[in-house]
Amino acid sequence: MNELQNMLHESVSRLFEDELDWDALTRYEKVEWPESLWDKVIEQGIDKVLASESSGGIEASWSDAYPVLRACGRYTVPLPVSEAILGQWVARQSGAELPEGIPGLLTQGFSIQESKFSLNKSIVPWGSRCSYYMAIHDSELFILEAQKQEVETQNNLGRDPRDRISGEARILDRFPTNLDNDSLLYLGALVRSIQIGGASAAALDLAVTYASDREQFGRSLAKFQAIQHHLADLAGLVASVDAIAIAACARLDLSGITDDQRNARFEIAAAKCRASEAVEKITRLSHQIHGAIGFTYEYGLHFLTRRMWAWRTEYGGVAYWGQELGKLAVESGGNEIWPIITA
Amino acid sequence: MESIADKLRFDPCQLPDDLHLLRQEVRAFLTDELQEYSVVKRSHSWEAYDAEFSAKLGERGWLGMTLPKQYGGQGCSAFERYVVVEECLVAGAPTGFHWVADRQSGTLLTRYGNETQKKEIIPKITAGKACFCIGMSEPNSGSDLASLRTKAEKTENGWLVNGTKIWTSQAHRADYMIALFRSDPDPDKKHAGLSQFLIDLKKTRGITPRTIENLAGGKNFNEVSFVDVELPADALIGTEGEGWKQVTEELALERSGPERYLSCFYLLRELIDVLKDCANPAILAKIGTQVAWATTLRTMSLSIASQLHAGENPTLAASVVKDLGCQFEQSLPGLAQELCDLEPTLEGYGVPYQQILGNLIQIAPSFSLRGGTPEIMRGIIAKGMGIR
Repeated sequence: MNELQNMLHESVSRLFEDELDWDALTRYEKVEWPESLWDKVIEQGIDKVLASESSGGIEASWSDAYPVLRACGRYTVPLPVSEAILGQWVARQSGAELPEGIPGLLTQGFSIQESKFSLNKSIVPWGSRCSYYMAIHDSELFILEAQKQEVETQNNLGRDPRDRISGEARILDRFPTNLDNDSLLYLGALVRSIQIGGASAAALDLAVTYASDREQFGRSLAKFQAIQHHLADLAGLVASVDAIAIAACARLDLSGITDDQRNARFEIAAAKCRASEAVEKITRLSHQIHGAIGFTYEYGLHFLTRRMWAWRTEYGGVAYWGQELGKLAVESGGNEIWPIITA
Repeated sequence: MESIADKLRFDPCQLPDDLHLLRQEVRAFLTDELQEYSVVKRSHSWEAYDAEFSAKLGERGWLGMTLPKQYGGQGCSAFERYVVVEECLVAGAPTGFHWVADRQSGTLLTRYGNETQKKEIIPKITAGKACFCIGMSEPNSGSDLASLRTKAEKTENGWLVNGTKIWTSQAHRADYMIALFRSDPDPDKKHAGLSQFLIDLKKTRGITPRTIENLAGGKNFNEVSFVDVELPADALIGTEGEGWKQVTEELALERSGPERYLSCFYLLRELIDVLKDCANPAILAKIGTQVAWATTLRTMSLSIASQLHAGENPTLAASVVKDLGCQFEQSLPGLAQELCDLEPTLEGYGVPYQQILGNLIQIAPSFSLRGGTPEIMRGIIAKGMGIR
């Protein structure tokens, strides 16, 4: 990690570690919206790590933002921080200024006809709390008014809002963009891959600590070879998720996602496919190592595992990204797959 | 804030741009060179022995690339060698003759060999004219390598060796063996009683390899008996009693390379072609997940190459990649069989895909045996995580 990455990693981790203990996470998912934490996120400019300087950001690279996005997974931040970060990058790419408040990213369930923008059960993270929506359509970035629509509140397995929004949305602003229609989907997939890496690492840490502390048959679980092998297996999977996610960030910094020649779309697809596939075994092993205690609400492993199960399919899961890569493979032919991997 | 996963970071490595040219050059060479090569032979890759091919690679300067120039090496970075090696593996080039020499013996001799050994042997390695084998496992010492019993007794003129090695690939035709023997019989010195030796197999008497046929009919590995074998004093490599440490370093080279996930890549290529008209979403997704896995493993493997290049010791990371890579490559033949009903065939029957599948299904069990089992790898990983 470079200096900036270290600094971001430490400051963001400190904030989330202080603010998001078991009590807070429980309160936020059962009782209240974490207003004061959101204020702190804004105050520290965490949402603007990828924003342009003119928007008050630091124009960091995705590799620099990686520790921040990973911390959102590691600490199961119950706020649309990763969505806000990626929204700012999209704005920066399109020379747009975003309004204040929480952005809602539209990746599906919308249509546009004669400058009339309609949403039809569009799934929007924290939809009911959004101040505005963002959508990309035919080389234009749309900023839309988030009011007066019909909101069907719904949470994902992590108890984070994934509201369904329907109705017409007034266009507040529009900017020409070189981003493609599916750019938000790709970027969403990337941030979820990074978050899965963070949550997986936290689950691994919990599992190692638990296995070292818990004793059965007169010795700690970590002394049993079967448990050691579970932990080693788990560690390898976590490392694989992190490795391809960080590689996708590096590729995105190097070649963007719009360049016709070579861009980060392949690595992002691979990262989300790998992360989504790995979630099944990562969650299974972390629960197995924990035994029954991990299955309780009181212990808190579930804050991580429930989110991983949700993130697994958000912005495309194994079926979607696997098919994208599978189609690419068969259409390109066996001889071309290695050149694609090494390009 | 401390996290176990921080010990397992795989920072992305962007290969230097100029390596692109080297890669193109290697690809063109391999396309040309392997035209007449049978597909089944290609699926053997680094176990296929072809002295002529190795000599050609040597002529090009593509063997022992990282070894020092003064001994005939190229003095290249680890990345240049990495590119040549991964291209050879993916093309299914027959690299068995030079494989061990290029991967580990040359580096070991450069580090620990004496001047005579270096001057005489390293030029042969870089020319692709020396085939090496590794004398480690014994009939009663497999995963518990340090329990080995083949002894090297000090004599007036050198060493006297008696015992047996097993699973020694290419021993029946190799030029040299680098072997680990017990040089100190003191039972209290399990690890500290071991030393490494260089043996000229063409000139030394008393060594008898007996080829062991594998389940697929292949004849690559051997049981090698040593009966009153006399070695000169300077056959010792490095320091007496430091064999275990030296071997551990050697194993890091043996476990960290791209061959640990690419053994079945040739099959993946053929499978993709067999399924070219496939529109079944579930099958396409399965192919896609394999592509994602391969891409991930390559990222990790390349990251290890860059850690080695930076002079770090990525033992933990290398064990992780070997463990994951093995899962990937070992599951591919079975998966291919599930995705497509073209039956696996013996060499000479069926289309190329069927022959490759037939071969790899049979040899896949060895992927998790050679170079350290997953059980051993996971033990190393657990230790690296501080829980063992």
